[in-house]
Amino acid sequence: MSVDFLHPGEGTAVDTGVPALEMRGIDKRFPGVVALDNVDLTLEPGKIHALMGENGAGKSTLIKIMAGVYGKDAGTIRMRGRELDIKSPRDSLKEGIKVVFQEIALISEFTVAENIFLEGYPTGKGGSIDWRKIRADSAALFNRIGFNVDPAARTGSLPVSQQQMVEIARALAHEARVVVMDEPTSSLTPNEISLLFTVIRRLAALGIAVLYVSHKLDEVFEIADTVTVLRDGRHVSTRPIGEHTNDTLIQDMIGRRIESLFPRKRGTPGSKVALSVQGLSTAKKLKDVSFEANAGEVLGFFGLMGAGRTELAKAIVGFDPITSGTISVDGRGLLPHDTHTGVRLGIGLLTEDRKSEGLMGELPVYQNASLASLGAFARMGFIDKAGERKAVQDYVDRFRIKTPSLFQQIKNLSGGNQQKVLISRWLMRGLKVIVVDEPTRGIDVGAKSEIFALIDRLAGEGLAVVMMTSEMPELLGLADRIAVMCEGRLTAIMSRDDATQEKILNAAIG
Amino acid sequence: MEMSELTQSSAPRRFLGGQLLGSSQLVLGIILAVLCIAISIAAPQFYSEANIIAILRQCALVLIVASGMTMLIITAEVDLSVGASLAFVGCIGMAVLNSTHSLALGMLAALAFAGGVGLFNGLVVTRLKVNSLIATIGTMMMLQGGVYLFTREAVQNHHRLISFTDLGAGYIGAIPLPVVIAVVIFAIAAVTLRFTTLGRYLYAVGANERAVRLSGVRSERLKLFAFVVTGLCVGVAGMILSSLMNAGQPTAGRGFELTVIAAVILGGTSLLGGRGSLFGTLLGVLVMKVIDNGIIILGWNQDLQMVVPGVVIILATYLDIIRNRANVG
Repeated sequence: MSVDFLHPGEGTAVDTGVPALEMRGIDKRFPGVVALDNVDLTLEPGKIHALMGENGAGKSTLIKIMAGVYGKDAGTIRMRGRELDIKSPRDSLKEGIKVVFQEIALISEFTVAENIFLEGYPTGKGGSIDWRKIRADSAALFNRIGFNVDPAARTGSLPVSQQQMVEIARALAHEARVVVMDEPTSSLTPNEISLLFTVIRRLAALGIAVLYVSHKLDEVFEIADTVTVLRDGRHVSTRPIGEHTNDTLIQDMIGRRIESLFPRKRGTPGSKVALSVQGLSTAKKLKDVSFEANAGEVLGFFGLMGAGRTELAKAIVGFDPITSGTISVDGRGLLPHDTHTGVRLGIGLLTEDRKSEGLMGELPVYQNASLASLGAFARMGFIDKAGERKAVQDYVDRFRIKTPSLFQQIKNLSGGNQQKVLISRWLMRGLKVIVVDEPTRGIDVGAKSEIFALIDRLAGEGLAVVMMTSEMPELLGLADRIAVMCEGRLTAIMSRDDATQEKILNAAIG
Repeated sequence: MEMSELTQSSAPRRFLGGQLLGSSQLVLGIILAVLCIAISIAAPQFYSEANIIAILRQCALVLIVASGMTMLIITAEVDLSVGASLAFVGCIGMAVLNSTHSLALGMLAALAFAGGVGLFNGLVVTRLKVNSLIATIGTMMMLQGGVYLFTREAVQNHHRLISFTDLGAGYIGAIPLPVVIAVVIFAIAAVTLRFTTLGRYLYAVGANERAVRLSGVRSERLKLFAFVVTGLCVGVAGMILSSLMNAGQPTAGRGFELTVIAAVILGGTSLLGGRGSLFGTLLGVLVMKVIDNGIIILGWNQDLQMVVPGVVIILATYLDIIRNRANVG
């Protein structure tokens, strides 16, 4: 590896006439499905290009072809006019394409510097590795992207945001002309996101073509110059960001108009207290949390990562132990503190972690739906299967749950449909209080509005809905009142009308 | 991301496949048929009434314990102490019979002991959160050593109760009593798993215990139940075994747990929990025992009785993987 990577192209004017990367007519088939159908994508040097689309639109497949993870079935990839033959991730990196995947591909036991120079350590006399040079070169690279990470730190000990920076530094070390960021903000705090954006802009200023893959509208509006939208494996549009509005982008992504992302049909909430939490503390996180939620109300909880929302959700339904405090549902105390009692009193949790706490992936849809209400279909311990299936079918119809049959294994459904089944699980049981934790995590834009409508309907039917979320629009769009948490404490409760983003963020920072 | 769409679109096909030929039962059924035909061509006496009854009697003990074990493995736990417990139960049952001359009290003592072992295993797993593989290896060692503290040699039959002898050697009509007992236990377990809320919950706990707990179901109790049922099955089997041997043998039951677990796994029950059936277990037991029997009547080296089932298990599991892969496409 040569030294000149530290200042390549600096001083050379960025040649905007020739695309950095040009993909034409890309096809990719998997058994039984066309993942990409004649897709075009052109990346200009020095520009930030967003790639958007719902789950299954083909974004991942496209960048995996760029990265050499998948081969393409048809089409051409050109870099500065020269056709590339990418057969493996190694080829892709050699050609100057660096993909930073969501799952960071660094060796966590190695130091930052070792990871950066993984593909070729500079050697000194007699072939021994020149560690001093590695450290110095790493530091120089971080200097260029304007972000400092200790080159001697063990990579696994760093937060994800810094590991991303290591990946970006690797890209520079390989003289990458194209850097792809795959959903880079999904586990970052707002602060880290703005730092990342600064670094990404810096990459563009260096003449690198950046492809920013995301389904978050606000981020794309903030950072992208151009947006390409894919849908069902096809290219839908490529336009400068200035020509888009929220609505046109969503319309391109889902292929139809959504009248409103947050349809509100319910009336004003009642004044009957359905859930009362007083002085709740847990061993690890929560400190003296007290609040009440009324029937028919959506009480939204906001907080940054680590604020304790999920901990609160699990504690108030009886899933996680508490050290002090009381919880009562309709005036009846949650004693003993377990989920069996919780569900009997009428409080349940729609978990944020569907896979490990919600779904029984191998089991069919109808068994997943009826899990909490099986007793209602029992005659002397025997299940009235016909009655059970009929009841589940009702919900499948009412909520338009897309499944080939009631017997389909639930793991094969899309995230949105899985979530609807899990909501049905609670509705079939009948609750007074439902705690929903990040209800739209991993769910497409199109399905999101349906989940919002369902939550609105739950409150409309008189349930108290306690909603944990890290998504500001979701919070402002759905909640009647907003509670804010910071480091295990409740720092503010305000009505929706009094709330502003600024107030909420201030309370979240503490 | 694309994967979800992928599996979704191929799912209906897989489901149909699952109904028609996807179940491991079909593969197992074919294996069983091929075995029976091959053995009977080589040794026509395979189909004699005496031999078939011998096979069924051999199956009975394994099937009784495998019925409980299937439930347990469906909840994603396992019990390796059943072999050691089987021997201990026989000794205790025989000792109680010798001192009380009452079959009822002897049975009761056997069931109480074996059920107690199951309860102990269950509590260690659900309360102390010790992995069941490790917990029951511990119990197995305790029982293997403990039985020698209880008796250094076989507990002989001093009571001469005919009803006790009938337990192993008796008949109802043309069918040996142990087979009848096994069929009854098997049927109860199969109906429970297939048609009752209890059975549904057992699958659910194995498929995702946290989801079950969040739904307000006491998942620990379900696992505890499965451990105790497995224990009780060992109690019944232990008494039948000591009746057949006409003594309580502390050395009996060596490797029995492996035979039982092998039959359950062979029958398509997943060690990961949430998947499996008793019908599969029945086929698994039959395959294992027909192989045993075949080796004997063909006059092969008896040590192959361990070797061949080992090969069959690996092959059957591999076939299962291949079939799943083919179905996913």
